[in-house]
Parts: sequence; C-alpha cells; structure tokens
Amino acid sequence: MLKRVLIGLMAIAAVGFGVFWWLTIPAHVAAVAMPAYQANVANGQTMFNAGGCSSCHAVPDQPDRLKLGGGLAIPSPFGTFYAPNVSPDPNDGIGRWSEADFVTAVAKGTSPSGAHYYPAFPYTSYQRAKIEDVRDLFAYLKTLPAVQGRARDHDMPFPFNIRRALGIWKLLFLDGKPFTPDPSQSASWNRGAYLVNGFGHCAECHSPRNFLGGIIAAQRFAGGPNPEGEGWVPNITQKGSLAEWSVKDIAYFLKTGELPEGDKASGSMGRVIRNTSQLSPQDQHAMAEYLKSLPPVEGPPRPKRKIEQDGK
Amino acid sequence: MKRVLLAAAVLAVGATTVVAQQEVAIQQQNLMKAQARSMYGVLGKMVKGDTPFDKAAADGALKALADDVAKIPTVFATNPKEGVKDATFGASQKIWQNKADFDAKVPAVTKAIGDAKVTDAASLKVAFDAVQAKCDSCHDTYRVKLK
Repeated sequence: MLKRVLIGLMAIAAVGFGVFWWLTIPAHVAAVAMPAYQANVANGQTMFNAGGCSSCHAVPDQPDRLKLGGGLAIPSPFGTFYAPNVSPDPNDGIGRWSEADFVTAVAKGTSPSGAHYYPAFPYTSYQRAKIEDVRDLFAYLKTLPAVQGRARDHDMPFPFNIRRALGIWKLLFLDGKPFTPDPSQSASWNRGAYLVNGFGHCAECHSPRNFLGGIIAAQRFAGGPNPEGEGWVPNITQKGSLAEWSVKDIAYFLKTGELPEGDKASGSMGRVIRNTSQLSPQDQHAMAEYLKSLPPVEGPPRPKRKIEQDGK
Repeated sequence: MKRVLLAAAVLAVGATTVVAQQEVAIQQQNLMKAQARSMYGVLGKMVKGDTPFDKAAADGALKALADDVAKIPTVFATNPKEGVKDATFGASQKIWQNKADFDAKVPAVTKAIGDAKVTDAASLKVAFDAVQAKCDSCHDTYRVKLK
C-alpha cells in the first residue's frame, strides 16, 4: 500500500516537474527566422543612446560611457545584480555572440546558453523594439572598444537564484507583443511612444512593482519607491510635477538634465540624461510630446518620511 | 506627581530634538537652495538665453556660489536623520557614513568656480558646464530624490 502511495506521489511530482519544465522553456529567435539585412550603425547608436545601455553596463567610476565592461551593482528587493560585460571582448563580453544570440537576449531575455536573464535587464520593454533596431544596435556595439574582465555573479538568495523559475515570471509579465503605433496620433508622438516604451524603458523605474517584481500595469509611469534603496522615483504622468512642465521643458530636461524650477537631475537619472542628451532634438521632442500626453494616474502612497538605516 | 513631571520633561526634550533635527535639515536645504539660485536663477538663465549676458551679475553669482560651497562641510556636520517636510530632494544617509569622502568632494567644486574665466555668454557656458559637472559628482552619490 505504502509503496503504491509513494509511486503515485513520485508520478505526480514527475508530471508537475515536467509541466514546470515545459512552461519555463527559454524562448529563442532562430537565425534562419531573420531575413538578410544591412545594419545601419548610426541608427544603432541612436538606439544605444535611447536605451541608456551605458547607464548600467559602463564600467562604474570612470568617465568613458562607451567602455561597457559592466560591474555596476544594482540593488533590488530580491538581491543585488551586477551588470555584465557587453563590450565586444570575445572572452568576457559579447564578441563571440551571433546576431541571433543578441536578438534573443534583447527581445526574449534568453542567454546564448539558453538560460533566462533576470528582468533587471529590461527586456519587458526591449521586446517592443523593432527587430531592425535591435540588429542595428548589435552592429553599433561591435564598433565599441573591447573591455576585458567579467563582472561578478549576481548575489541572489534562494529561491530567486533559480533562473528556470523566471520562465513563470515571463509568462506573467512578458507578453511578446511588438510596439503598435496609434494612427490617431502624430508621427512624432508615435516615435516618442516607441522610444519611451521600447528602448527608453522609462516605465521600468518610474512604475511601482508588485511583490513578484512585475510592473503594476494600472500605475505605469506613476512612480514609486526607489528599488535601489533610499528615496522615491517620481510620478511622470500628468498627476506629478510634470503637469506643470511644458513639452519644451521636458525636452530640455532630456537634453540637459535641468528642471524648469532651477535644479538638476542626479543619481540614476543623471546617468540616464548622459544618454538622452545625445539624442537628436527631434527624438527628445518626440519623447517629451508622448510623456506630456500621459493621463494623470495616482501613484502609490508615500510612507511617512523616516530614515531607514540600511545597516551599511 | 514626580512621575508626571518626569514624563513631561522627557516629552519636552523629545520635542526639542525633533524641532532641532528639522531645523538642521532646513539649514542644509537653505544652503543648497541658495546655491541653486546662483547656479540656475542667475547663471543658468543666461546660459539658456532666458536673460541677456551680464558680466557683473555673473561674477556676483559665482562669488556667492563659491562662498556657499565653502560652507558645505560645516553645515552638513550634523546628521538630521530626517528630510525637510514635503521636500523634493534630501540628503542621503551615506553622507554621514562617508563624511570624509563627502567633504573631500568640495575642493573640486571650489576649484571649478575659481577657474571660471567669464567674459561673454560662450565662456559662461563653458564655466557653467564645468561647475555643474563637479556638483553632479557629489549629487550622484549623496543626494536623494524624495518625490
């Protein structure tokens, strides 16, 4: 009798594991699925600047934003991530990657060896990018200097260190849909919406997240506690201080980091500005136009200000 | 009776500490806001082209800025352990965890202001960007967005 029960339980466990395995198979983009294409390096550079790749992947504490050796620590409620080397170095960077490997990484969040990336790499936004733009970005990255050295491994405690489980997270939060333009809006607005929601990945920091670390869709762009620690990420819908900013103010901010009230962005946003400042005035204006059109959404309530001793 | 008095005394001391902390935070904020007025209220407006270039006003703002910057290490000597009520920005606790490093960033700002050779709008822009870069190098670590 006991033996039967045991066999039964084992069978259920095996089936359960099989279902889990099947549900969490990392998605790939096959090279054969991509038509022949002549990459546009200049457009790749634009995508690099819109995406702010160097905000996380540049070697920290040195001035060259094109040295993509990684190593920046990105704290989160789940553990600390360390940005990897994405320079063209063949051993430590992405020098040996195929174009399909790169498209798979950016659009599907799957590594060349077939593992899930953590969504600290914002593929939930990058999946909206046009495949041509991703291919151009790859061509541009290839022109940057190779940097030796690998970043240390992520510091994730159990159970967040089980990468396979991210397959379930992806089922919940990665819909695989490309960007769809709104024909009732201008070309400039649509360009802005594409840059903000795609490579720009603004919502990744400017939205509150649920206990699983997924963006709370109803409060997209409405700000929230800074996942990296102290402070608050502002609401950038028309409910926040952006209600008093003009489109021109927002565009000027993306160019210089200066706020209309006589101040300047610093910290993570300072790093973002070092990238958006390189965009064309048309793209800065397009992003501003789209952001200014975001309907007002109430963000999460702010806790009463107390200093949290982080014990460091 | 004694107990009530003691409790009242403790409460009173507690209340003064709270006020004092808020006062320290406000003093720190006022110092930074004074710098913002020199930087953006005067110099930034000329750089942006909102107001015409005015050498005397620019020199005056740079002088005021240098004076205020020199006060940073002393005004930030005490940790108020709280932000100014309803403030948009605040001081990171990291300042008092690494006070020596924080203080060590000040001379670079002073130097950038001292090196400014402002004769016209173009040279002002160069000086403005150089000074701002030094402000950033401290703000990136030690300033916190609060809303």
